[in-house]
Amino acid sequence: MYGGVTVVNVPQLEIKKGESVGLVGNNGAGKTTLFRMILDLIRAERGEVLSNGEPVAGHEKWKNYTASYLDEGFLIDYLTPEEYFYFIGGLHQQSRAHVDDFLAGMTDFFNGEILKKGKYIRDLSKGNQCKVGVASCVLQNPELLMLDEPFANIDPTTQFRLKSLLKDMNKNKGVTTLISSHDLNHITDVCDRILLMEKGVIIKDIATSSSTLSELEEYFGVGQTL
Amino acid sequence: MISTFISHELKAFWRSKNTGKSIAIRVVMGLLILYLLINVLLLGFFLDKLLEQLFPKADLLVSFCGVILIYFIADLFMRLQLQDLPTLRVQPYLQLPIKRNTVVGYLAFTSLLSVFNLWPFILFVPFVLKIIAADSGALVAFAFIISIAGLAVFNNYLALYIKRKANLNGWIYLIAAGIIILLGLGDFLWHFYSIRNISYLFFGQLVNHAALALLPVALGAMMFYLNFFYLKQNLYLEELGSHKASSYKSSTEYPLLNRFGNIGDLVGNEIKLILRNKRSRSALIMGLFFMLYGLMFYGKPGPAGAEGFKVFVGMFMTGIFIIQYGQFMFAWQSSHFDGLLVSKISFTDFLKGKYLLFTIVSTFYFVLTIPYVYYGWRTLMIHFIMYLWNIGINTTLVLFFANRNYKRMDLSKGAAFNWEGMSGNQWILSFPLLIAPYVIYGPLALLHHGDIGLALLAVTGIAFIFTRNFWIKKLEADYYTKRYTIAEGFRNK
Repeated sequence: MYGGVTVVNVPQLEIKKGESVGLVGNNGAGKTTLFRMILDLIRAERGEVLSNGEPVAGHEKWKNYTASYLDEGFLIDYLTPEEYFYFIGGLHQQSRAHVDDFLAGMTDFFNGEILKKGKYIRDLSKGNQCKVGVASCVLQNPELLMLDEPFANIDPTTQFRLKSLLKDMNKNKGVTTLISSHDLNHITDVCDRILLMEKGVIIKDIATSSSTLSELEEYFGVGQTL
Repeated sequence: MISTFISHELKAFWRSKNTGKSIAIRVVMGLLILYLLINVLLLGFFLDKLLEQLFPKADLLVSFCGVILIYFIADLFMRLQLQDLPTLRVQPYLQLPIKRNTVVGYLAFTSLLSVFNLWPFILFVPFVLKIIAADSGALVAFAFIISIAGLAVFNNYLALYIKRKANLNGWIYLIAAGIIILLGLGDFLWHFYSIRNISYLFFGQLVNHAALALLPVALGAMMFYLNFFYLKQNLYLEELGSHKASSYKSSTEYPLLNRFGNIGDLVGNEIKLILRNKRSRSALIMGLFFMLYGLMFYGKPGPAGAEGFKVFVGMFMTGIFIIQYGQFMFAWQSSHFDGLLVSKISFTDFLKGKYLLFTIVSTFYFVLTIPYVYYGWRTLMIHFIMYLWNIGINTTLVLFFANRNYKRMDLSKGAAFNWEGMSGNQWILSFPLLIAPYVIYGPLALLHHGDIGLALLAVTGIAFIFTRNFWIKKLEADYYTKRYTIAEGFRNK
């Protein structure tokens, strides 16, 4: 419940370890609100969110294995990207050398736009801020990764790199991923399971197959001749 | 258009997350203003009697004319500290078909609605009507009122202009305040010149040449246009091509803080926050201005030099940062509060970081006040006691209020238009902080046991410092009941 109106109403939803879940739905469907509830940023009127069997509200354990980037509000905007990475690394007991190593591995993803540019995060473009946010998530070696519309502001090259990065994390490192997007192509490509939300309710829960994309296109293209 | 702006602002006020708090502040402020109003009104009515007593040898008109300029200098000084800058979130209006002049004109005119513009009239007009109108006729009386109005307008816009500038660069505030203090000292301490004579030079002539009243009016108009054009030129969200964009932003670290682990990292980040954002940096620099408070009060005869006042001034000088910066806590971090909530930071560490930051800065300011040892070791001792009080009790109080602050603050936006810094409203919030030590010290001092009072203050301060962990636990429990409201408020742009 949110301002007197039900925004998200999820009777039950279970996400298993190692799943890659995609969340789609039109604006106002409640995707971000659901994310925020999972991250204990909004209190649910009724019900609770369990992570590894433990409620997220009132507990801090989930923070150890959960990395998330929803919007620029997750970044400390007056730091340089390097300072931010060191800070996040430090929270997870990683030495600066370790962080440097990690950043060296991300050069392709950053495309020379992030590091050693002499800019604060607030002076970066939205797309580049998104890269910083995603990279800081990967840096944390999470077991659960949550990204809200990561494809929205980044350039096509980075979109492809991000897709392979996400697939690699899910398939090879067993990271559970939960991603929302408006781009049906990307989301069906990356995720094994798609949740379709409408007005706060999950109306479809489908395992991705070759027909998923056309099924989704049919739903979103209501009233239009394709 | 103006009425639309007003209705939008009213909506912004009523629909804000902080409405309850704002109303409470306004009510207290309103009562205070009412009280002052009655006082000033009485003063205005008996100004002639008062002047006769103060300057028994001088002609009544001469002493009246002399007082006017002194009043306006003091007025400017008070305005700099207390007057509100009118704010309007201009961003949504800029790309709409609304003339820039309308937006700027609205901002400029609403600033006239300050109570500060009421005082000079209440204070001087009764005298003008009673004495001058009777002696020299209606025209001269009218000329006096016009000149006073002109000077009030001039002061109004000068103060706002300085504050807007100081918003971008705290040093400007220090310099302006310094000049005013020097102006005052030049007359009353060093006797280089007499402000009263200068004032009489002008107002005395006014009796013979009523047309001279146009001069203050012209000054007022000039200041208004200066403000108007300054605002108009700065009606951009961000300055492109300013020097800051070109300079290389290097990464820094504070090796000393590494000793504190995670907490040290948090403090390091917050120090960067303070130094890298205009507004917080100004708060730090303006703190330096309060280092002059001792100069203004110490060594003076009468109540200003008394020990009880030193308690006040001492607390102010060593704790100004806690009061000024702490007031907006945790809103300084509102733009990335969600990020802090989901990252691996426990709130205990977060609070410990705040305590550490306050301790560091208070220590810095305490060291700066050491030269006041010139006024005796006892003065320094009082400063030290108040320093203990500040890092013991005021830090805890400020953090308690921080749990109740739900208003987002945008540090990255151009600061010239969204400024909630030093103003009367802000000081109201610090009342509890200012009164607290007198609850202990006051009664004892009245019973002539000032020493015991001071000792008690010190003991209380130290006790709080040693029981910090207990208070952190309390604050944390309090925070957990409010965290969703805080986070939601901060998300509210």
